Amino acid sequence: MAFPSLKTEPARVSNLRDRSTRRHRLTHEQRLLIRKVLAHAFLLSFLAIVLVPFIMVVSASFRQGNFAPSRLLPDKVSLDHWKYVLGIPYTEVVNPATGETRVVKPVVPPLLWFWNSIKVSCLSSAGIILLSGTAAYAFSRFKFKFRTPILSSLLILQMFPMVLALVAFYVILDFTGTYVKWLGLNTQAGLIMVYLGGISSYIWMIKGYFDTIPASMEESARIDGASPFQTFVRILLPVSIPIFAVVFILSFIGYMSEYPVASVVLQTGNNWTLAVGANSFLYEQEKLWGRFAALAVLSGVPITVVFMLCQRFVIGGLTSGGIKE
Amino acid sequence: MSDGSVEIKDLVKTYVDDRGRPTFTAVKKINLLIQNGEFMVLVGPSGCGKTTTLRMVAGLEKITSGTISIGGRVVNDLEPKDRGIAMVFQNYALYPHMTIFNNMAFGLQLAKKKKDFITETVGRTSKALGLDKMLERKPQALSGGQRQRVALGRAIVRNPTVFLFDEPLSNLDAKMRVQMRSEISRLHGQLGSTMIYVTHDQVEAMTMGDRICVMRDGNIMQVADPITLYRKPENVFVAGFIGSPPMNLLKGKIEQRPEGLVFTEMGEKAGLTIPLKPPVADLASRYVGKNIIFGIRPEHITEECTATCVPVESSVDIAEPMGSESLVYLKAGTGTLISRIHGEHIYHMGQPITANINMEKVHLFDTETEKVIR
Repeated sequence: MAFPSLKTEPARVSNLRDRSTRRHRLTHEQRLLIRKVLAHAFLLSFLAIVLVPFIMVVSASFRQGNFAPSRLLPDKVSLDHWKYVLGIPYTEVVNPATGETRVVKPVVPPLLWFWNSIKVSCLSSAGIILLSGTAAYAFSRFKFKFRTPILSSLLILQMFPMVLALVAFYVILDFTGTYVKWLGLNTQAGLIMVYLGGISSYIWMIKGYFDTIPASMEESARIDGASPFQTFVRILLPVSIPIFAVVFILSFIGYMSEYPVASVVLQTGNNWTLAVGANSFLYEQEKLWGRFAALAVLSGVPITVVFMLCQRFVIGGLTSGGIKE
Repeated sequence: MSDGSVEIKDLVKTYVDDRGRPTFTAVKKINLLIQNGEFMVLVGPSGCGKTTTLRMVAGLEKITSGTISIGGRVVNDLEPKDRGIAMVFQNYALYPHMTIFNNMAFGLQLAKKKKDFITETVGRTSKALGLDKMLERKPQALSGGQRQRVALGRAIVRNPTVFLFDEPLSNLDAKMRVQMRSEISRLHGQLGSTMIYVTHDQVEAMTMGDRICVMRDGNIMQVADPITLYRKPENVFVAGFIGSPPMNLLKGKIEQRPEGLVFTEMGEKAGLTIPLKPPVADLASRYVGKNIIFGIRPEHITEECTATCVPVESSVDIAEPMGSESLVYLKAGTGTLISRIHGEHIYHMGQPITANINMEKVHLFDTETEKVIR
């Protein structure tokens, strides 16, 4: 009888070990579940960090009174700040004891600032595309003296923030203003001119893209009889739309929210851009957070619109098919 | 048809950097006359200056010195479009955002040709190339062969006197390459235009060219028709470059022995000793005691012996049966000899074999000048 017992013994041992490990080890599905929960928890907390400030600003714009945002959701919803920002007159209780009211209407309608911002940003971005596109073409395709030094100096120059040159901008615009009225201080044209100075990083960006486009395409156009300008406009530009869309978005966002230069150049209320105007709600004696918040939310609208419009052009593969790598 | 002869005279191309300092000379004073209607192939290893030469003919590259004339007219300072040329690029260089029709019509549109004329010309050309069904598509939707055909069509509609091809087939797969090769040859037959064709593939060069210009390091090594180039190479480079498998080239010396002139291979071990017979012996008599290079093509090392053959004892190293013939690598002397032997036997490694060198087909080259001894 020793024979069968010998035979069953090892089997029982292995069975025992199996059961004990199963108690500690999770199945594949359980591990996957834990991983999923952790990943979602991480992403949700990350999302909260991004979204909570935004929700606070939105809620502040709907809050009654001009207080700094404290709670996430307003106790009492009021459209006063939005009415103010959109230039709709509304009545406000001045003295709660007597019930005295007054009609509030902004001196300079904030929508004008909104329009100014869009105008300045659009024109600057368009100008930037024109200037940096042509400059990048030259840097990418032509050989000339001091090409490399100029390129590297552009790179170094853009490392200094625009604010550093604030005083210089002021003096320059003051000077141009004495000869050309519409290009002086306190003009939007003057501000656009200053903004156009920020092209160096975009030149690098576009040049990098041009460098990836094989020269044989343009050479082929040249043999077909196209002038350099025709080649640029009819061959290179259509193929480079994605990078121009990116440059437009970036510069548009940048100038939509630019404050320091605009605040120095633009001095009177009806010339202000949104960023300068919004900041005017925050003065030492009284910080009108509600109006500021409403205007801030509003300034996000054109950025979103431009982004969505440009996004469809930011697609890869425009050059595919013409060239065999 | 206007005159499409191309004359290249003392052509030099030196590249310069941004500051105008010379960096490297790609083409070194070459002279080449291409007849009207000729199919001239420029061939050579990469960096030999063949593409640079072609690009200078096209007008895409500035000429450092020398002249290029097309149809007897110096074109050095003419824009590419005014030279009467069309070019097909290696990477097709199609306009990816345009339809096939517009790709082909672009040049004619720029030349302000009438709309009917453009439609008619593009229609006719695309039909001939089998592209008429896909005129509204973009290059992306086409296969490699079709794209290169569009590039070919774009060149044809310009009605040039000289076609320039810059390695047009090297991006295609092997089967497509053979097909396009014959298509271009047929095109040349139909149009009768001058064609200059750059390639690094000596098979393409041999099969397509009326004449072949072999280049190395910016110099022309030899210009001749394919058969002459193969049979009578001017120098060691051409001998080794043209032909696949390449010519066997043995370095050694001519020695005077009691039994007659012999060629002895240089080498540490016992090199080959090949007794020389006329007509080679007559040439070698001027080089007794001097270093030479002994060249023999694989197909002239055979099993049968002709009247002027010299037997060499060897053993089979590797055999590559190809069906109609076998490439047999023979161990003989210090190295290996490649021979092309008819494919009736199977050869085994180590098998002893008597290889017969056909003395009539031997080429001797001067080691110093690398030129053939005649």
